[in-house]
Amino acid sequence: MQNANILEAVKISKSYPGVKALDEVDFDLRYGEVQALVGQNGAGKSTFIEIIAGSIQPDSGRITLGGTMHTHLDPSKSIELGIQTVHQENQLVEELSVAENIYLYNLPKTRLGFVKLATCIEAADVLLGELGIDISSEKKLNELTPVQKKLISIAKAFSRKAKILILDEPTAALDTRGKNILYDIVRRYTKKGLSVVYISHHLGEIFEICDRVTIFKDGRRITTHKVTETDMNVIVQEMIGRSSTSLITREMVQGVDLEEPVLEVRDYHRQGVVDHVSFSVRQGEIFGIGGLVGAGRTELARMIFGLDEKESGNLVYKNREITPSDPTDAIKKGIGLLTEDRKENGLVIIRPVFENISLVRFAKSRRAFMKLQRERSETEAISKQLNVKTPTIAQLVINLSGGNQQKVVLAKWLFAEAQILIFDEPTVGIDVGSKGEIYGLMDQLARSGKIIIMISSDNPELISVCDRVGVMRFGRFVAVLEGEEKTEENILKFSMGVAEKDRI
Amino acid sequence: MKINAFTREGLRRRISQSTMLVILIVVVAIVATIVNPKFLRITNIINIFQQISVLGIVSCGVGMLLVSGHIDISVGAQVSLLGIIVAGIIQHVGGISADAPNGWLQLLAIPTAFVVSFIVGFLMGLINGITVIKSRVTSFIITLGFASVYKGIALLVSGGASYMLFGRFEWLGRGRILNVIPIPILFFLGIVLLTHIVLKFMRYGRFLYAIGGNRKAAYVSGINTDGIIMRAYVVVGLLNALAALILISRVGSALATTGEAYALDALASVIVGGVAITGGKGNALSFFLGVVLIGLLGNALIIMNVNPYVRDVVIGSIIIIAVTVSHLTGESS
Repeated sequence: MQNANILEAVKISKSYPGVKALDEVDFDLRYGEVQALVGQNGAGKSTFIEIIAGSIQPDSGRITLGGTMHTHLDPSKSIELGIQTVHQENQLVEELSVAENIYLYNLPKTRLGFVKLATCIEAADVLLGELGIDISSEKKLNELTPVQKKLISIAKAFSRKAKILILDEPTAALDTRGKNILYDIVRRYTKKGLSVVYISHHLGEIFEICDRVTIFKDGRRITTHKVTETDMNVIVQEMIGRSSTSLITREMVQGVDLEEPVLEVRDYHRQGVVDHVSFSVRQGEIFGIGGLVGAGRTELARMIFGLDEKESGNLVYKNREITPSDPTDAIKKGIGLLTEDRKENGLVIIRPVFENISLVRFAKSRRAFMKLQRERSETEAISKQLNVKTPTIAQLVINLSGGNQQKVVLAKWLFAEAQILIFDEPTVGIDVGSKGEIYGLMDQLARSGKIIIMISSDNPELISVCDRVGVMRFGRFVAVLEGEEKTEENILKFSMGVAEKDRI
Repeated sequence: MKINAFTREGLRRRISQSTMLVILIVVVAIVATIVNPKFLRITNIINIFQQISVLGIVSCGVGMLLVSGHIDISVGAQVSLLGIIVAGIIQHVGGISADAPNGWLQLLAIPTAFVVSFIVGFLMGLINGITVIKSRVTSFIITLGFASVYKGIALLVSGGASYMLFGRFEWLGRGRILNVIPIPILFFLGIVLLTHIVLKFMRYGRFLYAIGGNRKAAYVSGINTDGIIMRAYVVVGLLNALAALILISRVGSALATTGEAYALDALASVIVGGVAITGGKGNALSFFLGVVLIGLLGNALIIMNVNPYVRDVVIGSIIIIAVTVSHLTGESS
C-alpha cells in the first residue's frame, strides 16, 4: 500500500474570464506522503487546492479518491471523503472556547438542544493531548496568541477523520516552537497513513518536512521531484521557467544625474509589519518593489502615503522633509497612491469618469464652487491623453474594463499634479494591451521628471519596467537589485529567503 | 456587455426614474380624483403643497445626508423637540394669551424662538454627526438612539402637555404671498433650489457623492470625509429648525410628538426619489418628486376617506419596496 495513490487528479482545467487558472493539471498524492506544492503568485496552487477541497468546481478533469472517481466535489463531500484544509487565514470564532471551535461543525448536544460543554471540552482535551498541543480547551479563542490560534486550526482539522490534510502556508503564523509541534504532528500521522499537501513559499521547509515537491507555473504542473533528488536552485529555476529573457529592459534616461537621490525613504517602521525600511529613488528612474504577497509592500506604500500608522519614518524630496501626516497632507505635498485594489480604495465606481478624475484636484482646491465646463473639458483632455476607452467621460466607471479603470486612477493623480507616484500592483486583472499602455505611461512620467515607485508581484514585469528593484521579505528590504543582478531568479530567491545576504 | 450600450442604458434609466415618479404621481392623482373629485381643485392642490413643504425641507437635509451614505432617523424627534422649544418660547416669553400681551417682550419672543431653534438644531446635528463619526457605528442605530433621547427631552420639557400659540405666530406657516401662494411653499422650493446648487455645483456636494459612493476611495483621494459627514448632519439639524418653525406656525400648537412622522416620511421620500440607501446617487429633483409623491399619497388617502391608520402601513410598505427594488437593480449592474 505504501506507494499506492490516495488521490489522483487527471487533466484538471479551470478558466476564469481572461485567465486560464489551471490547464490540464495532473497530480497524484501517495498514502503517507508529504507533498509540497510550490509556484509563484498566480501559478494556480490556490485554485487547485480549492478544487480538491470542493469549494471550486473544475471545468474539466476528474479526481480519483481512494479508488472512487469524481468529476467534481463539493465542500461537504470532500470533508466526508476525509479531506481537511488548514487555510492561511484562521477560520475560527473569537468569542467561543477552543473546544467549541474545534467541534463547531457538530457540537455534542443534549436532547433539548443545549450544548454539552463538558463533553466537548473533554474530547478537545484528549485531541489536543494526542496532538501534543499544550493549550487548555476551555480558554476563549481571543485569549490565545496567533501561534496558538494556528495550532487550534490544525487541531480542528484532526477532529474529523482526516485522510488528506491540505496545509496552506501553515508556518506563516508559527514561531519555531509552533513549527516544531506542526512537524511532529505531520511526521507522526503520516506514519499512520495520513497524506499531506503542503503549500509554502519557504523553500527551506520543503526540504525539512516534505517527501516530494510539485512545481506549478502559469496554471500548469511543471514537474514533480523527490526532495532528495533536487535542490532549491533547480526548484527556483522551474518556478520561473525559461521565458523571461525575451522581455525588453527599460532604457535609462540620459543626461540626468543618476547618483543624486531625489526621493529618500528613511527608516519606515511598524512593529511586525514593516521593518526599518530605507531606500532612495533617483531622478528619472522607476523603482520597483518586489517580494511575496504579505511581505509588507502594500503596508509600506500606505505608510509612505500617510494612510496607515507608523512608528518611524521620514520622507525627503529634493532635500526637503515632506513626511505626510495623512492622505490630505500627502496630496498637498504632491504624492499620489494608486492602490492595489482599484475598486476598494481607488475609484468611486458608481460615479462618472470625469468626477473620478477631478476628485483629488477638487479635494486640494479651496473654492466652494466648481467650474463644471472647465472640469469637463480638462478631464476630457487628460482622459484622451491617457487613451481611456470610454464612449463619454460621463460614463460610470463601473462600466469600464479593468485597464481603463486603472487609467482613470492614474488620470486622477496626474490631474492633481502629483509629483511622486506609487503604483501598487498596477496591472493586476488588466489585459495585455492595457498593461503595455500603462508601462508606457509610467516610462513617460519618469522621463518627465516624476518619481515612480512600482510594487508588483509579477517579477518579469518588475525586471522589464523598473531600473532597480528592491526586494522585501518579512517587512525588511533584503536586497536592491540593479544591472546584471536584476533577474527574475534573484528577485524570487531573495523573496523566499533562498539567497539570504543583506545588501543594505 | 458592450460599453456603448451602457450610456444609453444609463441615460434611459435616469430618465425613467424621474418619469416613473411623475407617472406614479399622476396615477395617485387620478385615482384620488375618481374617488373624490375635490382632490383636483386648485385649493386642494395648494393645500397639499403647503402641507408637504415641511416634509420637503426635512427631506432635503435627509436626502443630502443619504447621498453621503448616512441616515438620520432622529429627524422626527428633532422637529418635535424644536417645535416644543419654539412654541414654549413664544408662549412663555410672549405671555399666555394674545389678549394679555407682555408688552415689549412679545416683540422679542418670535426672534428669540428663531435664534434658539436654529442653535438647538445646529447642536443636535453636531452631536449626531460627531457621535456617528467617532463611534464608527452604523448611523441608523446611533440616530435611532438619539431619536429616543430627543423625544424624551421633548416630553420632559413639555410635561406631555401641548403649547398653544393663540394665533400669535401665523405669518410663516399660514401667510400667503398675494393671498395665493403660501409662504411655506416658497421656502420649500427655495431649499430644493439650494440643494440643487449644493449637489450640482459645489465641491461639497461632489464630496457627498464620492463619500457615499466609496468612502475609502474618497479618503484616499484627500477628502476630509469626517468633516463632510459631520457638516451634513449639521445641515439636517438646521433644516429641521426651519421646518419646525414653519410647522408650528402653521399648526398653531406643539406637542412632543408633533413631528414624529417626519422621520419615516422623509426617508420614504428620498428613497422613492431614487437615492440609494448606500449613498452616492440621487439629486434635488428626485428629492422633490419623492416628497410630492409621498405628500400626495397622504392627502389622497385622507380625501378618499380611508382609515388614517392605513397611511402608516402604506409608508412602511413603500420604504420596504423602494429599498428592495433599488437594491436588486443596483446589484444586477
